Amino acid sequence: MLMLALHAAPVALDVDFHSQVAPVLMEHCFECHGGEQSKGGFSINTLELILDKEAAVRGDASASLLIELIEDDDEDFAMPPVGKARLTDEEIGVLRSWIDEGLAWEDGFTFAKSRYSPPLLPRVPELPEAVDGRGNAIDRIIDAFQREHGVARAERADDAAFYRRLSLDLLGTLPDPADVARFVKDEGPEKRAGLVDQLLAENVDYARHWLTFWNDLLRNDYTGTGYITGGRKSVSNWLYGALLENKPYDQLAAELLSPTEESRGFADGIRWRGDVNASQTTEIQFAQNVGQVFLGINIKCASCHDSFIDRWTLDDAYGLAAITSERPLEQFRCDKPTGEMATPKWLFPELGQIDPEAPRADRLRQLAALMTSPDNGRFTRTVVNRFVHRMLGRGIVEPVDAMQTEPWSADLLDYLAVRFAGDGYDLKALLGLIAKSEAYGAQTVKRGEASIDTDYRFAGPLVKRMTAEQFVDGIRQVTGTQTTDVAAKFSALEIEKEAGYVGRTAGTRASMLPTDFLQRSLGRPFREQVVTQRPQELTGLQALDLANGEALNGMLQAGAAELMSRHGELGTGGLVEVIFQRALSRGPSEAERTVSRALVGEPMAAAGIEDLLWSVFMLPEFQLVR
Amino acid sequence: MMNQGDEEPSSHELTRRRFVQALGASSAAAMMAGTPKLLPAGTEAGTEADTEADTEADTGEGAAQSEPTADACILLWMAGGMAAPETFDPKRYLPFELGLPVEKIISTFPAIDTNVDHIKISQGLENVAQVMDRATLIRSAVQPDLGHILHSRHQYHWHTGYVPPLSVAAPHIGSWMSHLLGPRDPVMPAFVNIGQRLEGVGESEELKAFTQAGFLGSAHGPFNIPYPEEAARSVATPEGMGTERFAGRYERYKRLLEAGGDAYVDEYHEESIRRALENAHRLLGSEKRRAFDLSLEPKESYDRYNTGRFGRGCLLARRLVEGGSRFVEVTTEYVPFEQWDTHEKGHERLARLKGEIDRPIATLIRDLEARGMLDRTLVVVASEFSRDMLIEGVPGSNAKDQSRAKTDVLKEPKHYGLHRHFTGGSSVLMFGGGMKRGFVYGKTADERPNIAVENPVSVQDLHATLYTAMGISPKTAFEVERRPFYVTQDGKGEAVREVFRG
Repeated sequence: MLMLALHAAPVALDVDFHSQVAPVLMEHCFECHGGEQSKGGFSINTLELILDKEAAVRGDASASLLIELIEDDDEDFAMPPVGKARLTDEEIGVLRSWIDEGLAWEDGFTFAKSRYSPPLLPRVPELPEAVDGRGNAIDRIIDAFQREHGVARAERADDAAFYRRLSLDLLGTLPDPADVARFVKDEGPEKRAGLVDQLLAENVDYARHWLTFWNDLLRNDYTGTGYITGGRKSVSNWLYGALLENKPYDQLAAELLSPTEESRGFADGIRWRGDVNASQTTEIQFAQNVGQVFLGINIKCASCHDSFIDRWTLDDAYGLAAITSERPLEQFRCDKPTGEMATPKWLFPELGQIDPEAPRADRLRQLAALMTSPDNGRFTRTVVNRFVHRMLGRGIVEPVDAMQTEPWSADLLDYLAVRFAGDGYDLKALLGLIAKSEAYGAQTVKRGEASIDTDYRFAGPLVKRMTAEQFVDGIRQVTGTQTTDVAAKFSALEIEKEAGYVGRTAGTRASMLPTDFLQRSLGRPFREQVVTQRPQELTGLQALDLANGEALNGMLQAGAAELMSRHGELGTGGLVEVIFQRALSRGPSEAERTVSRALVGEPMAAAGIEDLLWSVFMLPEFQLVR
Repeated sequence: MMNQGDEEPSSHELTRRRFVQALGASSAAAMMAGTPKLLPAGTEAGTEADTEADTEADTGEGAAQSEPTADACILLWMAGGMAAPETFDPKRYLPFELGLPVEKIISTFPAIDTNVDHIKISQGLENVAQVMDRATLIRSAVQPDLGHILHSRHQYHWHTGYVPPLSVAAPHIGSWMSHLLGPRDPVMPAFVNIGQRLEGVGESEELKAFTQAGFLGSAHGPFNIPYPEEAARSVATPEGMGTERFAGRYERYKRLLEAGGDAYVDEYHEESIRRALENAHRLLGSEKRRAFDLSLEPKESYDRYNTGRFGRGCLLARRLVEGGSRFVEVTTEYVPFEQWDTHEKGHERLARLKGEIDRPIATLIRDLEARGMLDRTLVVVASEFSRDMLIEGVPGSNAKDQSRAKTDVLKEPKHYGLHRHFTGGSSVLMFGGGMKRGFVYGKTADERPNIAVENPVSVQDLHATLYTAMGISPKTAFEVERRPFYVTQDGKGEAVREVFRG
């Protein structure tokens, strides 16, 4: 595995393959000799194929057939053939230099279309028989998958670990030790399913936790670029209300695509002061974000030129952008006007099309309807995959924003997508279905190489790193400290009150606050771009902030004081027990107890409690959702 | 990113090896989804590099990156738009006089001689004038016309090579250097950013947007030190915690970790947490942190730098580069309408500002020279654009006039100064790191508009020059979302060869 990127030998060349050579080949050769076409038996898909046909001689352009043909004036031999545009001198120069300089080729690059082509329509897979009484549809599919691929079934996680994982995944918070103890003692056969339902019913905690996911996905924040000159609008109030009431996803998406005043921030995008590059106008941002967020399609390439990596073209990107555009939209190729005006149209005409003559508001309504059409399997597959990624640590398709990639189980993806639509696009129902599966409730497996391995085979859920928000909230929970601040541009408490909801945890949560130094350091992103995966590693700079940063240190001091005043009567041993139970959902081992007591001191000292808190919060076991 | 390798590479011959180490680290990280992968710009197709040995051979073929002429870089950032006619490119000067038509004035300070015969700079920079024989002065740096000016947007461009908004989070120039080269000493932070507050100042969100490592990952983000005099605290034990308790806490933590031994936790995460904490404690427990402590500087030397926060920042930069950091930025600090961002009373403001930067810059150059470090340390003095008394942007721009002292003739002292943003020609001063000495490159027109009329240097070409000096090819690219993302925009940056010593 280590070899993967090691053959990256950075070399400075005069001609760049990706930006110079590939576009020329794409423009003049691809139509007949690329992708599935190989006229005359010649394909440019890979360098090997080019060399196979001896079309180019490495280091010697003048001796290369390719150059001979494109420079030839004889109509019988010239390439491209009569009727097609000839290469300009400049383009020939690029190819000559490329050959002379040794035929650099981007590692792994191919003009061939991927052999996998994702389906658009929903598909109902046949559910395999349940085995060993494992009737959850997810388990039926995964059990069959594992049998077929010879993967061993993972053991069940113990109840306390399950509770902690579930609470962090669904609500973002650590469980109360007394609740965990009661759950562990409970001998009911359906207790896990019951707990899932119980936690999902915690509307406020659910909404506060999932704000993080949606804010990242919709690049919504309480501060950020663009706000300074009114170039950005927050959707926080609308989003929070939607999460509190568990608004069906099709409706949620429709309100983002064809927005109300409250939800228009996403579609409006981020406008920096001044003139912007043609590929970054707010209309193009709309195309890029709609493609990525709802369909797992990367339109970033295609907003500048036809994509080299998938089927999307400049025309597609501008078509999508033109739907929202208030003015006639001229196409730009690599920031140069093409003279062509974009026609409003969307990506999958199989499902219907936008009326280009309709006014903007109607076009957006049409887009919302097409997107959420029951026939749009790409829409449902994309979102269920994101939720599987959140819950199991890896998507069925990875990367989650490249939905053209082959899933490790098409049956699972397709089933969940259809089921989700059948359940009324109910996000909580989807989470419940996943959480109630034995696949979710199994012991975690080591991440190792699993997350990028193309031959990924599900063997159990992966360990996830806590988000910055979970970490900060967790510290507050363990120490019993709280904050009541809420961000400007966000009336969370009023919305809750209006809806008649009461939060289970006192105070507000990190997700509701503007980001700060500590959260930034722990990986809460700038919401300039859509973010769907946060970094999994702790870095040296972050660790420095954790080791001596004022923010964490202040929280530890306040936390130790609070614990001492509330639980001082328990004595050192009792306090150690409380901290372990709250932080790790388990008591300390004998060895841990000894080290911890020595840290806290007897009688206990505030400084000692601070140091134990720090040590526990630095344990991988604390920082991970496992 | 304080842990690249165990040896302490100090000479430039080791650059390639450091590069391979950086690659090694990035490849381990690349196992995780979403981690960028360095693109093999010139790997020959068909030659599968299957083993590490092969890889080293590949890299050893020679073309890897250019031979660096500098090992460290210090960027002295004149935030807010340093007016070239008032600093390093003096033009026609007319003293303040009531009723004087503004169009007649280009500079509000007279030119002074330097220790290089053909180079004159602006009054108030007498100390820098005496080290001009060590400098390359580019007078033809140009910036794109982005319409209505927003400083932070141009600063974003200057610091990342890309104009926002962007569909990918672009890394800061210091983050590129951190990722590709690592720190010169493994204990030190590779990239330190001195003097800029990121909270509580105008445009702070926009400043934060480029003061980060973007897709390279937060390991390569800046170590931010807004107040140089408080730098020691940033590597000290927490407030109220002695070194003994601090070390004891870490020791006990490690014992707690051993005592746990939870089978559920996977090595990948555990290793990342352990290693990160170990690195942090290595710096906090190391003699190296003395580099951060300005109180350890001999008084006489400290006083030479101490013209204010910027001056102390220059001193800190010298100490950090001596300690083994790779890229250090020191800014006069950007706060809208403050410092170089003169919308009125420009002359008065600049007289003070020049006093703040003149001696520290000259002292820094002389100190680096005295320590034998100037040859391998590239010092760059730059700004997001220049200023003019009349023109906003460039001639023909639709940029909105933002002067707060609009007038055709001087009626009061606040009118005297360069109060409009000018993107057509600015000055960049460079010392050491393989640059020529006593050399001027490019030229602006003597009459308004004072646009670059000879050898204009774009931001991307200027960056290519800095990267090339540091041994990084301007075409270096990472794969992000299956697209190449280059260290200079689209890999198109071309180093200005003329400024390198032969």
